Amino acid sequence: MSARRPRPVRKPVARTPVWVAPAAIVAGLAVLVAAFLVIRWYVTPLPPKAPSQEATVQIVSTITTLPASEFDSVGQGTANNLIKPITGTPLKGPSGKLEVFYYGAEFCPYCAAQRWPLIIAMSRFGTFSGLQTTTSSSTDVYPNTPTFTFRNATYTSQYIDFRSVETTDRDRNPLQTPTAAEQQLVSQYDPGGTIPFIDVANRYAMTGAMYTPDTLGGMSLRAVADALKDPSSTQARAIIGSANLTTAAICKANAHQPGTVCSSSAIQSLEKNLK
Amino acid sequence: MPRLRLIAILVSLAGVAVSIYLTVVHYAGFVPACPVSGAISCEAVLSSPYAVIAGTSIPTSVAGILWFAVSAALWARPRRSLLLAWSMLGLLTVIYLLFVEIVLVGAVCLWCTAAHALVVVLVLIAVGRK
Repeated sequence: MSARRPRPVRKPVARTPVWVAPAAIVAGLAVLVAAFLVIRWYVTPLPPKAPSQEATVQIVSTITTLPASEFDSVGQGTANNLIKPITGTPLKGPSGKLEVFYYGAEFCPYCAAQRWPLIIAMSRFGTFSGLQTTTSSSTDVYPNTPTFTFRNATYTSQYIDFRSVETTDRDRNPLQTPTAAEQQLVSQYDPGGTIPFIDVANRYAMTGAMYTPDTLGGMSLRAVADALKDPSSTQARAIIGSANLTTAAICKANAHQPGTVCSSSAIQSLEKNLK
Repeated sequence: MPRLRLIAILVSLAGVAVSIYLTVVHYAGFVPACPVSGAISCEAVLSSPYAVIAGTSIPTSVAGILWFAVSAALWARPRRSLLLAWSMLGLLTVIYLLFVEIVLVGAVCLWCTAAHALVVVLVLIAVGRK
């Protein structure tokens, strides 16, 4: 009888620990997020070079002298109607005329977008001077959106007053402080603190931008101004559409004055959409 | 019921709740409760063209409701191959949505990130389960 051979022992095979696959997935996700951040940094447009004072005047002139036919042609365009009716004592400016109040900040990309139609709309009732160019923050969403600032601007009109507060510059440093009365308006009609906040004579209010700031991404101010001359351009349909909605709100709040602006077909049509 | 399975079902239900909230926000037209600071902006993400399923007006959060609901059902009677396949589908979608948020929109929505985190947790449970 032969001696029984010892049973061969199988060499244990090292199994992959359970935690390896989940850890690999987490690590892979971290690498992908890092890669996405690098791509985002690479594709973020640089702030456009600030135009000279003379060029700024030309750009402002371009956007504030658009022909009436263009406003009629665009109508609401692609603008979102964010105008909501509010109630309160009619807001009046220092001269006793009804007042449009703007509250925003230079860093804010939505304010950057909304200043274009606000300037265009207000310029149908009066004249701005002292508008300067800037861009929204480089470190916020829709970075470096080209725009203007109201910080040193003045407005004259025989129909309506305009007041503005830019609370911070594009680097979020404090700039202008609202008066107690203006702060009261913001607290009452914009309790969520969304900017920009625009109050049309305490009759209508809107917060946020009526179009996405991405519409202006990577463009210079001159390029945006030129695009506004073409009513079929993406920028014109967004900005002039927003300006028309704002104009309709002002017309409705201000007894349809002046008739040359408020009696146009586009404004009349948009007024019907305002409560 | 094993503890991991129970956790996975609860995570799936949390995902359904977050997705329902985002869907309601979309159809009600209001801005979700979400801080706006620097690159954190739910409004920027949820008002972007990528917030709806391409070619429709259906918010992507509806797809989230479906994915989490199916996930909960799969975890109730788990089959490893199905769970892995479903988890991978979720993970690939999350990677695409991260690309959209970071690269295309340049903003991060905290509610969306919560949903993405829940998907990743479910993927990790599925992959790490023996």
